[in-house]
Amino acid sequence: MTLTHLASPVTVNWGITARCNFVCSHCFSRLDQAPELSTEDALRVIDILAEHSVMFLNYGTGEPLLRKDLFELTAHATGKGLKVTMNSNGSLIDEAAADRIRDAGFHGVGISIDSADPATHDAFRRMPGSFDKAVRAARLLRERGVPLSISSVICKINHTGFPELVTLALELGAHTIDLHNFKCSGMGGLNKDQLDLSPEEWKAFYERAVPMRETVHDIEIAFDDPILSLLGAEDKAALVAGSVCGKLSLYVKPDGEVTPCGFIPVTIGHILKDDFGQMWESSPVLDHLRHKSATGKCSGCSKFSACLGGCTARALAVYGSYEAPDPHCWVEEGKG
Amino acid sequence: MRPERNPAIVWRLEKKIYDEAWEAARNDEEDFDDKGVLTLMLKGGIHQLNLVGAEIWTRVDGQRDDAAIAAEMAELFGWEPEETVEAVRAFLEGIASRGWITLS
Repeated sequence: MTLTHLASPVTVNWGITARCNFVCSHCFSRLDQAPELSTEDALRVIDILAEHSVMFLNYGTGEPLLRKDLFELTAHATGKGLKVTMNSNGSLIDEAAADRIRDAGFHGVGISIDSADPATHDAFRRMPGSFDKAVRAARLLRERGVPLSISSVICKINHTGFPELVTLALELGAHTIDLHNFKCSGMGGLNKDQLDLSPEEWKAFYERAVPMRETVHDIEIAFDDPILSLLGAEDKAALVAGSVCGKLSLYVKPDGEVTPCGFIPVTIGHILKDDFGQMWESSPVLDHLRHKSATGKCSGCSKFSACLGGCTARALAVYGSYEAPDPHCWVEEGKG
Repeated sequence: MRPERNPAIVWRLEKKIYDEAWEAARNDEEDFDDKGVLTLMLKGGIHQLNLVGAEIWTRVDGQRDDAAIAAEMAELFGWEPEETVEAVRAFLEGIASRGWITLS
């Protein structure tokens, strides 16, 4: 039995800054340079999340280490019982920064590496030397016992070379490799034709990658893609159908505006101006995501109850509708 | 046996639903144990426990053994003690097999 949503988000992804020292080809936030909250306001955000029993706080969007008060905010959050993680490009993690990350009590750090081939990674991240810096950051964190994950965006550059990425992540001592599906939001939307895979390519990728979860040990291979249910590979422990956005998680932009996820640019309120609990429980947008109707080829598809039409962010970006079928879906009309 | 939680698990009690489940239990409603009142995460997997599971889980502290937990559960729910010991053991062995606790 699945639920529409929990009493409050399990995870809040927080863009604590939109600033970044990289200009990646797929970045969802580069085109939306929202101002960031002051330290005082950011501390209030943490208080609100803790009051609502949010379990995980994940910094992302820009490069978190560009925020001078990162460790002050993290200490406050961990003191309130939140498990704090962050996604970083790794370029600013030297020995001193790694020490501070360890001491701040981060629950984990995700380092972005998109290819095991340094030149391919550097070209995708548009930053020469970025692969070496990411690998160095990963090693420094592991040397200090900081739980490490490797974060990769699957797209044209790596959809066939991902086994080498898994091998690299294992060698770096990561507990998880997150093989994120490409989202056509922000720069990703502008570069969609060069980077996104066809539905058939997505199918081929998942048909190779999903079985690796059974054959590769000592590392978790994570996908977080609702269309996995098309392969009968959905998480058997899934509490909610379809995407987790607005059901188990929310996104807070650098300026405090709240959206269902970072890839859905639809504001449902402001974390410091609106009641967080009411927003979560009563937002018409979230209600829409939690009770999607089958349209187009999803109508009559046997998988719809599990995938709920797949990724809403992709449907919205490509077709302008929450309810449109996921453009990555490879099921032909009438055959699902 | 003395159960201990896997320290990698992050969990929370869903307070409002917990209160609702207890209200249903006190009113002898049959579906009181259908509600997920405790959410836990391990390795990216998310799971929920019902009221009985949650009451056992919150007593797994590395101090109490299975008999002590069963005795408290029997009193809490008004169950027959011997049957409760068996049920608690079965539950603990079940979640131990999933890696949520260790049994020593």
